[in-house]
Amino acid sequence: MVAETSSAGAERGVSLQTLLAHPQARLLVGLAAVLLFLIAWQIVGAGEIVRSDLISYPTEIIRTFFSMAASGELTTNAAVSLQEFVQGFVPAVLVGVAIGTGFALSRRLRAMFEPLVIALNTSPIIAFVPIVVVWFGVGLQSKSVMVFLASVIPVIINTTTGIGEVNEAWIRACRAFGARRRQVVMKAILPGALPSLMAGIRLSVGRAVVALIAAEMYVSVRGIGRLIQVYSTSDRAAEIFVLVAIVSSFGFLLVTLLRRVEDWLAPWKRDS
Amino acid sequence: MGALLLDRLSLTYEQRSSGSSFLALSEVNLAVRDGEFVTIVGPSGCGKSTLLMLIAALLQPSKGSVRLNGTEVTGPGSDRALVFQDFALLPWRTVLANVELGLELKGIRAAERREIARRHIAMVGLRAFERHYPHQLSGGMRQRVGIARALSVGPEVLLMDEPFGALDAQIRQVMGSELLRIWERDRKTILFVTHDIDEAIYLADRIIVMSASPGRIIEDIPVTLARPRPLEIRNSPEFSVYRQRIWDLLEEQVRASGSWEQEGAKH
Amino acid sequence: MSAADLHPPARGGFRLSDRGEQFLLGLLGTVLFLVAWEVAARSGLLNPVVVSNPSRIVAAFLGQWQSGDMLGDVRVSLIEFGVGFGLSLLVGIALGIAMGLSRLTEYAVDPFVWFLYASPLIAFYPLIIVWLGFGFTTVVAVTFLLSVVSIVVNTMAGVHSVDAQLVRAVRAFGGRRIDVIFKVVLPAAVPLILAGVRIGLGRALHGVVLGEMFSSNAGLGYRISFYAAHLRTADVFVPLVILVVVGILLNQVCRMAEARLQAWRS
Repeated sequence: MVAETSSAGAERGVSLQTLLAHPQARLLVGLAAVLLFLIAWQIVGAGEIVRSDLISYPTEIIRTFFSMAASGELTTNAAVSLQEFVQGFVPAVLVGVAIGTGFALSRRLRAMFEPLVIALNTSPIIAFVPIVVVWFGVGLQSKSVMVFLASVIPVIINTTTGIGEVNEAWIRACRAFGARRRQVVMKAILPGALPSLMAGIRLSVGRAVVALIAAEMYVSVRGIGRLIQVYSTSDRAAEIFVLVAIVSSFGFLLVTLLRRVEDWLAPWKRDS
Repeated sequence: MGALLLDRLSLTYEQRSSGSSFLALSEVNLAVRDGEFVTIVGPSGCGKSTLLMLIAALLQPSKGSVRLNGTEVTGPGSDRALVFQDFALLPWRTVLANVELGLELKGIRAAERREIARRHIAMVGLRAFERHYPHQLSGGMRQRVGIARALSVGPEVLLMDEPFGALDAQIRQVMGSELLRIWERDRKTILFVTHDIDEAIYLADRIIVMSASPGRIIEDIPVTLARPRPLEIRNSPEFSVYRQRIWDLLEEQVRASGSWEQEGAKH
Repeated sequence: MSAADLHPPARGGFRLSDRGEQFLLGLLGTVLFLVAWEVAARSGLLNPVVVSNPSRIVAAFLGQWQSGDMLGDVRVSLIEFGVGFGLSLLVGIALGIAMGLSRLTEYAVDPFVWFLYASPLIAFYPLIIVWLGFGFTTVVAVTFLLSVVSIVVNTMAGVHSVDAQLVRAVRAFGGRRIDVIFKVVLPAAVPLILAGVRIGLGRALHGVVLGEMFSSNAGLGYRISFYAAHLRTADVFVPLVILVVVGILLNQVCRMAEARLQAWRS
């Protein structure tokens, strides 16, 4: 650390650095900052220092959340979005693991598809939304396809990496006990590659959510993204904040869930 | 010139989070004459590195003072230069740029800096490696860069904190003899911390033996072996006498403190 | 079979020992893909109007190039990208250093950074339209927001990763705080900053496309949705391919720079 720890010398009293070294300091300062921000927001918004339909304020947002929930608006659209997400994400994981494994086993295959994978990985996935909509229509299908496209690549990459980095010793141990190829895969390689694989899946969640919302905002009949778009054209900041919170929470919850799943599947490995 | 006076030097560390305090150095008194090569030995954690840091003024004493040529030392300066155990070279700079660092911080202009730096690089025998990066050099070479860097700011006192600690045994001995060769040229005052007894005897005009924590000076041993000293002198009977004496002192310290039972207790 | 067959890829993606073979295979794969696509479209297996095919796309590319449309779009996107990303570099690095050096700043700003990092910023996008309207400002703002976070986070991590011993060495030779920052902290943080820049570049590109697609009437992102709306599928691919190529180039350049810096780190 750059902050040089100096000797006490004649230091008396409590300095700022002393306070900040306290184990709870991070949490408390963070909370204080957020609290200050919320209070300021409340004052500026509710007091109409800035137009409240442009920026809203915390209490209005909470109120709006309940009214949106009550009207059923949230549940209907969330259900559609969730369906689109699952229909794209689950196949992406399955296909991604399959392809990733194929790439790990065959160097040649991987080399052949490498340009395509890199292209899809580093290009802005949003750019594909219009063409996907042209091909798959304005309904659920195009959104699922976008989710699929956004999620499959990180899963492929991480599966390949994960398998490649499996500790040789485990493979040797299996073979020493007479395991055949398929058993080696099941007993040494897949479990060993699991952490990397799970990391890839978690990485996909963020990208998938972005792809989904973007596609829904672009054109759709129902869905959270569409709601966001609708409210944006009518200057309803409070509603938009509610929807933003919902989308963020979904991503966060899913990632947390995936971490739990990983712990359950691979209890021998706790991430540091 | 490089005369040091340590007067009742003490240091107490305050543990920030728990509020407890730890006495690292206790009433150290030491007078070093200009041009003396003084080595400091002691058990682990006795505060010998801390002592160097206080003289370099990277730490402030709780009590007592450090005086160089009569003037009290208040902050880091080029009159005292440090050489570190892990070399502390900036990995993104070439050898030349690393040696120039001290001069840069003194505000010396580029052309003059370069000339001084190159002179010292040649002095430590690395002229062919000016444009190399630290990661391309061996440990011994890196430390030579460290020494060149320290010498180039023209210090009155050279403070060396276990400088050969990270090198293997053979290189260590060679580096020791190299250091003496360089030192013979202008005989700067050197304070050299080490835990290697042989090294301490081989290099020194005077050996300071420190106690276990809290550190005090328990013995001040003048070394009367003739200079220049070839490496073979380590096998001489006179050398063994010194070795035995220091070994006895240290063994007593280590056993008394109980630190040999409880490693890491002094951090 | 052993893990030796499963060649562990070097950092930066897939890398094989025989680079020549890898390159040729990649070329082969791409060519096969394009040929298959062309054949499928021509033979009627896929509807060429909807799916398009490589030959039409090339024709569209030439057409847009000659009409000057393409250059105009590229220019607009480039400016928005430059301004947006440039801003996020300045703000991101400055904030990252401040957070890295000052615990108070870090603790106070961290929750907000974390929130921006973890949430899909695309959801904020309509709010930005509400505040800034349509056009250039919004696109720049979105580009900035999307890329600044990764730069801040990585710069802060870079500052934290500085070897304390190096700081001590510079101070021992009389360095003041400002010397420490410019001579040790910044250079030592560069590798992580570069990683942040690489990620930030990708996200900035995202931002430009997003902004243009939804709230602009110029630029590559806009063109994609424009051509798509007019069902000119071949034309859609032109700006799309340009964006993909740019994305790849930026990424590769950064990785190369990072790799060169790795040399002196070890």
